Amino acid sequence: MRQAPGFSCNVLDNLIVVIDVINRPGKKVQLLVTTVEELKKAKEGDRQAIERVCSATWEPLYRFIYFKVQNREEAEDITQETYVKTLTYLQKHQALQGNFLGFMKTVALNVLRDRWRQKKRRGAPVNFEEINPEETAHMDHQKAVAQRLQLENALAKLSEDQRTVLDLRIIKSYSVAETAKLTGKTEAAVRTAQYRALQGLAKILEDHA
Amino acid sequence: MNELENKLSDYIDALNAEQEPEKGQLAAGTPELEKLMATVLQVRTLKEPALPAPGYPKRLAKAVAVQIQENNSSNYQRGRRLRNRWIGPFVALAAGLLLVAVLTSWTGLFNRDVVYAMEKAVVSLSNYHGILEVRSRNAAGEEWLARRVELWSEGDKYAMRQDDGTLTVNNGERKWQVRPQSKEVALLPPAPDPAKTGFDLRDEAKRAKQYPHTVAGTELVAGRQATKLEISPPGGLPYYLWIDAETNLPVQLQTAMQNALMTTFTFTSFEPNMPIDPHVFTYQQPEGYTVVEKDPGQLVATVQEAAVISNFTPLLPQEAPGRIFAFQDRIVLDYGDTTIIETVAQESFEPVANSALGTAAGGPLEVWWERLRWRQEGLEIQIDGIRRVELAGQIAADLTLPDNGQNLLNRAQVKVPVDLEIVKANQQQVDRGSSPWQLDPLQVATTFVNLKVTPDGIQGEPLIPASAFKLAVNNGAQAVVEVTGGPIKQVYLERLVRQDETGIWSVVGYDPR
Repeated sequence: MRQAPGFSCNVLDNLIVVIDVINRPGKKVQLLVTTVEELKKAKEGDRQAIERVCSATWEPLYRFIYFKVQNREEAEDITQETYVKTLTYLQKHQALQGNFLGFMKTVALNVLRDRWRQKKRRGAPVNFEEINPEETAHMDHQKAVAQRLQLENALAKLSEDQRTVLDLRIIKSYSVAETAKLTGKTEAAVRTAQYRALQGLAKILEDHA
Repeated sequence: MNELENKLSDYIDALNAEQEPEKGQLAAGTPELEKLMATVLQVRTLKEPALPAPGYPKRLAKAVAVQIQENNSSNYQRGRRLRNRWIGPFVALAAGLLLVAVLTSWTGLFNRDVVYAMEKAVVSLSNYHGILEVRSRNAAGEEWLARRVELWSEGDKYAMRQDDGTLTVNNGERKWQVRPQSKEVALLPPAPDPAKTGFDLRDEAKRAKQYPHTVAGTELVAGRQATKLEISPPGGLPYYLWIDAETNLPVQLQTAMQNALMTTFTFTSFEPNMPIDPHVFTYQQPEGYTVVEKDPGQLVATVQEAAVISNFTPLLPQEAPGRIFAFQDRIVLDYGDTTIIETVAQESFEPVANSALGTAAGGPLEVWWERLRWRQEGLEIQIDGIRRVELAGQIAADLTLPDNGQNLLNRAQVKVPVDLEIVKANQQQVDRGSSPWQLDPLQVATTFVNLKVTPDGIQGEPLIPASAFKLAVNNGAQAVVEVTGGPIKQVYLERLVRQDETGIWSVVGYDPR
């Protein structure tokens, strides 16, 4: 069994085991199991099989997508589109002999890129076949850990006021009005402060890239 | 610069609301703005993701199955997006984890405001099951269990079982009460449905945020670690609220000792965001029970059907209601968080004594707590709930709310000095349930004017009767009362301690006739 620090996946006889090591304090380990048989039924549109496959695999996929888009509305949409695209793809191709979750993440990345392209009218297409799914999933996790460390270091370099405004507005999700009340600033001052704090943070991150 | 700052702020707000930012917010930006937006996304990765509402895998599977079937039948589709638009998304746990994560990594850098966290957790609460105990204690220290209630709540649905076995259920379509003692089932109007328990999680969160509060330590409440908050309503006696450290939800409330009695509401068991057996909310007449029905209303599909049942055509906002209930004498339009009740206007319109006044449809608009009420085209319209102003504005285009920025008192020809200490003591007296007339500006004005006429005290009926007093303006904080007889023409009043419906009125000036 491949021992990746992030997500790994194996086909053992008829079982697809998705091991999801969620990167957060407490290091929760989840074993999510689905079967090849179920996947076959699911791709034919069997509602119960789809439900079992979704129940077994949605969370790591959703978390992966949420990490990219950072809002639930879009994450739910893309998760749904990813399942439809994956199962539709599998209808036309032979059964998956590898990392099911990694494959879905690759599909999700394609969906994301399509959407970004539509929004920005630029960017390059990515082909399903050209991507090594296991590598994608693995790389992504390592990148996320590195990014988190880099981000925490960068935040530590900001002034306390700047950290506070980013904490209240972005981490704690307070409104401008609530943040203004908590910090004793005007709403306009909060908007300016968050803009400058993000400018400062972006510069630190760029300098250390 | 301001425009860029605002755009960035709107972008953060959209993400905080867990919504996809508008395309305009992404496309119209400069490279600098795009870079800052990307930085926002990066900072947000430090948070726990907001997970979908419970039951998501099922809804996801349903949507996926429908799309796959569409694909199979047409081999071409763009597909409808079956986005889950469930109310009460499940982010309470995520919010809790986020705070833990933030505190673990940045301890000491930020002050954690438990009240804001609680407010957010309450907003995100999708369902719960719990047992609420209400205990009373007198000034002699004797304590007793007043009642125990088992509660199930999911979105708009709730079920509540009292100690005596009486079960009240509102499943959004019907409301009923099973009374084992009399072996009957009473069918009740499902909307509007007043507060259920006396300890409403949402109300408490709102009050705690509104009033000054301090953390008074941590304590164990029913085996859970909880933060104790002391809440001090302006001019009132402090009371306590305990917030569960794990879920950020309120778990206990203790009132101040009023009239030698103190009440404590405690969730002795509380399971938030757990699936609830759907049978709890399913109507079933127990065997051997009789049905008691007193105009419980009918859920109808169209306004026309409601009009036939109720014998009048209601005035409608542009936005269509989620549900329509028709009763013999009224029509209820339900918007989930807000309810509109329309009836045929009878007799004259009398605003509640301590309400503020605005205008709607050319007449007075009563603004009282979270309720608006006015008359229009022969109907009386009452709107309760958070979207009352928006929906009222769709019915009465000229709707004007009381302007509490306007100073009404400058015009007073004679100023009346006020001893704030006495006013505060009076406010506390009213909070204890005594002298409630001080909440009514008309009664305060009546007393004031009559004491001017008979300074030794009012014996029997006042010399200038209550009918001579009319509320001219009330913006919630200040009021002007007109008097048709006697030595005083107008009385000016102000809520000096608390500017809400619980605040007493004091006379601060008058105009002699």
